[in-house]
Amino acid sequence: MWSIIKSHFHKGKTGFIITGLFIILSVLMMIVGLSICFGIDTLYQKARDISNSPDCCISVFESPYGESQARLEEILKSKDYVENYDLQEIYYLEKEDGENTDKRLEFYTRTYIGNMFVSNWVALNIDDENNAFKPQLRDTVEKEGYKFYVTGNFIATTMFSVGDNVRTTINGKTYEGYIAGIYDDMTRIYNTANIYIGGDLFEEIAKQSEDDRITREYNINIRIDSKDEAESARLQQQLCKELESAIVQLNVDRLSQDPTLPYIYYNYVTREIFTQGTKSFILLLGTALIAFSVIVAIIVAIVIGFLVRSSVFDEVRNLGVLKALGYTTTQLRLSYLAIYGVIGGICLAVGVTLGVGLMPAFVNVVTGMARLDCSKAISVNVGGIFLAIAFVLAVVSSVVYLSTARVKSVTPLSAMRNNIQTHTFRRNRASLNKSKININAHLGIKSIVGETHRSVMVVAIVLIMSLLCSFVSVVFYNLKVDQTAIISMSAIENADYYVNFSNDDTSPYFDAIHNIDGFEADVRATSVGLEIDGGYGQGQLFENFDHIRTQFVYKGRYPKYANEILIDYAYATEKGYKLGDSVTLHMERGTLKSDKSCVIVGYFQNLLDMCKVMGFLEILYELYDIPTLEDSKYVRHLIYFEKGKAPDIDELREILMQVDGGKVMFNGFQSGEDYIGSAFLNTVETAADAVMSVFFSITAIVIALLLIMLIKLKLLRERRNYAVYKALGYTSLDIMLQIATSMLLLGLVGSIIGALIGALTTSPILSLFGKYIGAGHFAFIIPWGYTVCVVLFICVLICAVSMLCAIPVRKINPAKHLRERG
Amino acid sequence: MKELNDKFVIRTQGLCKTFSIGGVQQHVLNNLDIDIVEGDFTVIMGNSGSGKSTLLYALSGMDRPTLGKIIFDAQTISDFSNDKLAKFRRTNCGFIFQEVFLNDNMSIMDNVLAAGYLSGRNRKQVYQEACERLSQVGIGEDMFNKFPSQMSGGELQRVGLVRAIINSPKVVFADEPTGALNSANSVAVLDIMNKLHAEGKSILMVTHDMRSAIRGNRILYLKDGVILNEIDLGNYDVSQEKQRLDTLKVFLDEMGW
Repeated sequence: MWSIIKSHFHKGKTGFIITGLFIILSVLMMIVGLSICFGIDTLYQKARDISNSPDCCISVFESPYGESQARLEEILKSKDYVENYDLQEIYYLEKEDGENTDKRLEFYTRTYIGNMFVSNWVALNIDDENNAFKPQLRDTVEKEGYKFYVTGNFIATTMFSVGDNVRTTINGKTYEGYIAGIYDDMTRIYNTANIYIGGDLFEEIAKQSEDDRITREYNINIRIDSKDEAESARLQQQLCKELESAIVQLNVDRLSQDPTLPYIYYNYVTREIFTQGTKSFILLLGTALIAFSVIVAIIVAIVIGFLVRSSVFDEVRNLGVLKALGYTTTQLRLSYLAIYGVIGGICLAVGVTLGVGLMPAFVNVVTGMARLDCSKAISVNVGGIFLAIAFVLAVVSSVVYLSTARVKSVTPLSAMRNNIQTHTFRRNRASLNKSKININAHLGIKSIVGETHRSVMVVAIVLIMSLLCSFVSVVFYNLKVDQTAIISMSAIENADYYVNFSNDDTSPYFDAIHNIDGFEADVRATSVGLEIDGGYGQGQLFENFDHIRTQFVYKGRYPKYANEILIDYAYATEKGYKLGDSVTLHMERGTLKSDKSCVIVGYFQNLLDMCKVMGFLEILYELYDIPTLEDSKYVRHLIYFEKGKAPDIDELREILMQVDGGKVMFNGFQSGEDYIGSAFLNTVETAADAVMSVFFSITAIVIALLLIMLIKLKLLRERRNYAVYKALGYTSLDIMLQIATSMLLLGLVGSIIGALIGALTTSPILSLFGKYIGAGHFAFIIPWGYTVCVVLFICVLICAVSMLCAIPVRKINPAKHLRERG
Repeated sequence: MKELNDKFVIRTQGLCKTFSIGGVQQHVLNNLDIDIVEGDFTVIMGNSGSGKSTLLYALSGMDRPTLGKIIFDAQTISDFSNDKLAKFRRTNCGFIFQEVFLNDNMSIMDNVLAAGYLSGRNRKQVYQEACERLSQVGIGEDMFNKFPSQMSGGELQRVGLVRAIINSPKVVFADEPTGALNSANSVAVLDIMNKLHAEGKSILMVTHDMRSAIRGNRILYLKDGVILNEIDLGNYDVSQEKQRLDTLKVFLDEMGW
């Protein structure tokens, strides 16, 4: 029996090494994938603890000073689920105005990072002793000047890095400094303009503004006492709603006493909002790794099946002899299991070690996607290790056992007659007598039809890998190159600019925009929290849908009347709403409560949980019982230009700064591209890059390893035939071309079928899984050019690797090999 | 030795072949000068390990000499690169091996055509010639699409013979062509070889079988890497078989066979 094991080892050395590498790859990816998926639920909570981030943050802008702080603190103290909270003074840093005509304290400040103008920054004091959520700083550097600390997200989504210069001008006085470090804050993560500054500069700002300070700007940071993520998310939302209601009620009370008083403005962000923006994509990465691990395991199964079957055929005589000596079928099959048990065991140990060792590299990718430092928040999951080991062992042992089934049919007599043949003798396929093609190409084809098992294996593996590559290419194209489809699923409008101002009279600025050559439209829009038949959600309301560029509606139509709405398809499915159904929208503002019945006329997708309904601004007017909506911090203007005529952001800013003597106060100013990018595209682009490079690299490795194994095995088994070919007059190059042709043709068939299936099934497969994350209808554009590139990539790879692997043909010496006996 | 007016198809000058086995140098061919005359059926005999096969493979350009020159059809093939040698063999050398070495994955017709198509001739002509040649050696059309494993040893060797001559090579090299055949099949194969010789084909055969050797007209005896002696038996005639056998026996006895 040892002789069989020895012979199998000797003939299949390369096969064993390659199978081992595949096992290692499969285990490694399974461990990492499972660790990410198992760790995702606690990732954000751990990241919160590590970064010392609050669960929610509410920003309040109260002018003049009032009682909002006391009212809000009263609520917070009454909640036993509030673990702790703090209150931090903040300062808005905006464009320098030079004059301060109104009584509201504003910092008209021009802020530069590097040479880039940034507006609408919020400055926080890093040295504030009352700060219960003092950020954990990382990558800190020491230089001369004032220290500015920015979010990891800012660094990840801009061209800046730690150490870059920062210049801030406050009321005409310039302060030079630098980015001194990075912090993570999950409640301000989307706002790249949040900046912690050193206490010295913060005091300077306070001093500069002291005389005029009658306005109160502050953040309340809150930590929820709950270990359960879902419960925490619910409490975050509930608390913020309650705080919001309190402010609204304060506004009502203030206005009833003095109608000239301005609103108390507020805004809140919860950790749950941040989590939703990135969790799906991280989960997608983890799932992709697990899927890839399973695919590699399938390849392992195919390769082991091929090796074991080949060995059984080769060793049929020895097996017959052993049976004659009294060995049972089970004993013989167990000998094969023993071989692969040893190989599997070694590779599993290596795979686990590599999985643990490479986890930090994968965590870096997750860090990029999560916009957080996840280095300590996610680690190797022990359960994942055991699951991966069990999975791979189960695959290997079952395949080996099934592949040795033919041992059962080997009898001593049949083995001596050698009646188990490796070839089919039924038909002479691809006969040479009608051949019109090159003889080497034809012999390559003959080798394909003569070795059906090998050919089927190559086609199957290439098909799987090209399917994956094609799938990934379609995803990459739609996430990175043409983002129309993914944007249409995000419920975010892709206007050229998102603009709103804090000035009392904003008309001169919008007039200036309207007068720019190529201006197309200015559409007002706002988001509002409301209840839809008892369920809470955000509503996105537009002045009109005439200029909308994002194709929100994928079923139904856009609203035509004020009582018509679009609804999130996932939410509609959950609630059982159909097109034509009526739903009641409910809104509460303090003591004011109002309802509006609306008809569902279309569905949109809500990949990022941006909103549950969309409709006309009239819905808000009716709910608020107001004739129209005043321009305020909460009314965004969506600015559209004709195609190709939109000015760049610096040009537009320059135009606006020249209006009315440069008194413009930006409350929000972003290009559509930046807005969508900061919302989610930066994350998906990171994911697309990572997945694309990982998948293509692994595909190249898998195919190369497969070819190395097959061609080495082929050269070993067919060296006599090749020696005869050489004796007949075939050159080494002829034989190399025969090998490459056979592999190329198999690869071509596999890759064309795989790439086609991959391209055509990407959207249906994503739709199948996407419904769990709010997107059940993917309509990704199929980039056929990319599909062709996948086929070309795989074919060129096969051609190159085959030719390289076939080089040892040169060493085949006919005289030497033909004199070998047996 | 051959006469000066004979036309040599192969000539060697100082041919040496040395193998290194386990670090020990083994000189298999020693400064060998040999001339193979066009149209001759030359047989090389000798004891096991005398260097017969080594000489055959060297003369056919399948193996390279350690030293010396091989001039084949006025070309010094010992200077050729491996690829040039391979191309040279296509139309100049035909091979018959003891184990035939047909490709098991191809039908017998394909085995013949795989060699025939290398010549670059019109494929239709090659196919027709293959059909004719196979029929001539007793392989019927019904067997053309059979695979080697479905045929007897004698049939396979006849297919091997057709494969060897399909490109009308200048010399047919045969390495113990009847070594694995029973006597009936051996006779059939040797008859075909004699027929080829009669048609003017040059044949160089290595054998240790006297019944095979008497089919040749010139017998060379190789010992310790040098041609010890040779004998001219004249062209084969079945009626003189016994007499040829006796002459050969005497010759071999003299050589210490």
